[in-house]
Amino acid sequence: MYIGTSKLTHTYWPGTPFAADALKNISFSVGQGTFTLLIGPSGSGKTTLIQHLNGLLKPSAGEVYFDGKKIGPDKAALLALRRRVGLVFQMPEDQFFSETVFDEIAYAPRNLGLDEKKVEERVNRAVAQVGLERSRLLDRHPFQLSAGQKRRVAIASVLSLEPEVLILDEPAAGLDPEGKGNLLNLLSSLNRAGKITIMVSTHHLDEIAALADNLVVLNEGGLVMSGKTKEILARGAELKELGLALPQVTGIMHELAARGLPVSTDIYSLSAACDEILQAKRADQR
Amino acid sequence: MKTLIEITDLTYKYRSGGGNAVTALNGVTMQVYRGEILAITGQNGSGKSTLARHFNALLTPGSGEVIVDGLSVNDKKNTAAIRRIVGMVFQNPDNQLVSSVVEEDVAFGPENLGLPQAEIVKRVDWALKSLDLEAYRYRSPNSLSEGQKQLVAIAGVLAMKPKCIVLDEPTAHLDPKGKREVLENVQRLNRDEGITTVLLTHSMNEVVHCDRMIIMDQGLIKLTGAPRELFAQAEQIKALGLDLPAAAQLAYGLKLKGLTLPGNILTIEELVASLCQLP
Repeated sequence: MYIGTSKLTHTYWPGTPFAADALKNISFSVGQGTFTLLIGPSGSGKTTLIQHLNGLLKPSAGEVYFDGKKIGPDKAALLALRRRVGLVFQMPEDQFFSETVFDEIAYAPRNLGLDEKKVEERVNRAVAQVGLERSRLLDRHPFQLSAGQKRRVAIASVLSLEPEVLILDEPAAGLDPEGKGNLLNLLSSLNRAGKITIMVSTHHLDEIAALADNLVVLNEGGLVMSGKTKEILARGAELKELGLALPQVTGIMHELAARGLPVSTDIYSLSAACDEILQAKRADQR
Repeated sequence: MKTLIEITDLTYKYRSGGGNAVTALNGVTMQVYRGEILAITGQNGSGKSTLARHFNALLTPGSGEVIVDGLSVNDKKNTAAIRRIVGMVFQNPDNQLVSSVVEEDVAFGPENLGLPQAEIVKRVDWALKSLDLEAYRYRSPNSLSEGQKQLVAIAGVLAMKPKCIVLDEPTAHLDPKGKREVLENVQRLNRDEGITTVLLTHSMNEVVHCDRMIIMDQGLIKLTGAPRELFAQAEQIKALGLDLPAAAQLAYGLKLKGLTLPGNILTIEELVASLCQLP
């Protein structure tokens, strides 16, 4: 098992009248180099689950695994884990505290005790990875950047740890369409070219579904579905039942198929939908 | 009078950390008409929220004029009256709920208006009923879903009996079910209670259901019109960093690849109908 959990349960405020099971008996695993979406309505336990994957929360029962090993309570091991599994929180730019973009991204590598030359290398590499123009931006105050740029600085500040796994909680929240598009391209290239294992928690499937190998679906703290993207998205009615929506293009393909146009319905991106419809129309005309 | 909010040549500058002034609005002239649902969209940082904060005098113009139902925002004496006319709902419901009981939260606004108790009760009843929240009356907002919490925030504004409600990305934090609940209720309030509605959003699928839309870019209004008109200008919309609604986007892509389709497809129903009718 590369990263995952076995019978993980997490109880908030245990032993008090407010005790609440945020996660119940969750078992799942994903392979190295994969792209996984963790979906579920608000309050389903997505954020609680990802906080276990880099040891920020400890299981009330069950185990969490990374790279074949059980995550234990040992402090040194947890520190090492957090270098290898990077976590980008929701609205990460709310937590900026440095005076310049450079310092913000350099914070983690400096904490690793690297010398300033190595720190600079790490910052430059992270900045290049997220596609920011370094000459123009590194000296600026993080709050002077656009929302899309801030989000990329936040991701760069985690990438500067050179993690093997990157976990992002609602990374597109609050971004405009262009910012969202850039972010999806970034995640796709980190996964494909950078070989980083990626896990994204979200309640919006849309275009991001086209990037994902696997889907893990939570509801009320329980795991309700887990598998290949194609298999899970074929269960549209069940997802809808949970208050989730299929990607809009997938919905369109379902409608077209229902009206007799011979199109496949496992289509998650506009460009794939375009090709599929054109092919069906051409076959129709023949 | 057809116009509820009249804005003329509005300019607003923020002072940045370095002491430099950043122009957020650069000569905006626009109107909000009585009874309409107006969408304001544009990239992050285009000035949408700064503009909307002038509608109820949260900000006052750097220069130019903002007239709300005949009252000038520039005159401080009008501020209280203007805030009764225009209510504001923000992105994150957790930042706007003040009480631990739904009913008390909704009563907070009318209590501050100094209304008699009987009138407050009447308004709270009406606001909860209008948004289908009666079942949650005695619950804690924290025990509700995010969508329901946002509806409680809207009920709190509604209880002030405003003529206009401004919603600043009210669905950005909500899951699909929550989004649907909030949008359907906003549309219903507009239809049944005649409340003028201004919706700030990045979601083009939400814009589709509005009467008019305004697209902002770098502190200026770039395009104004009915969504159907504006979304027919795909290149212009994309140049402003925005998307088309999914169905319009797909229709645009298909046309680029040589398929003949009508020019103004906006909804999924329209796209499906025209694709299935084609020979």
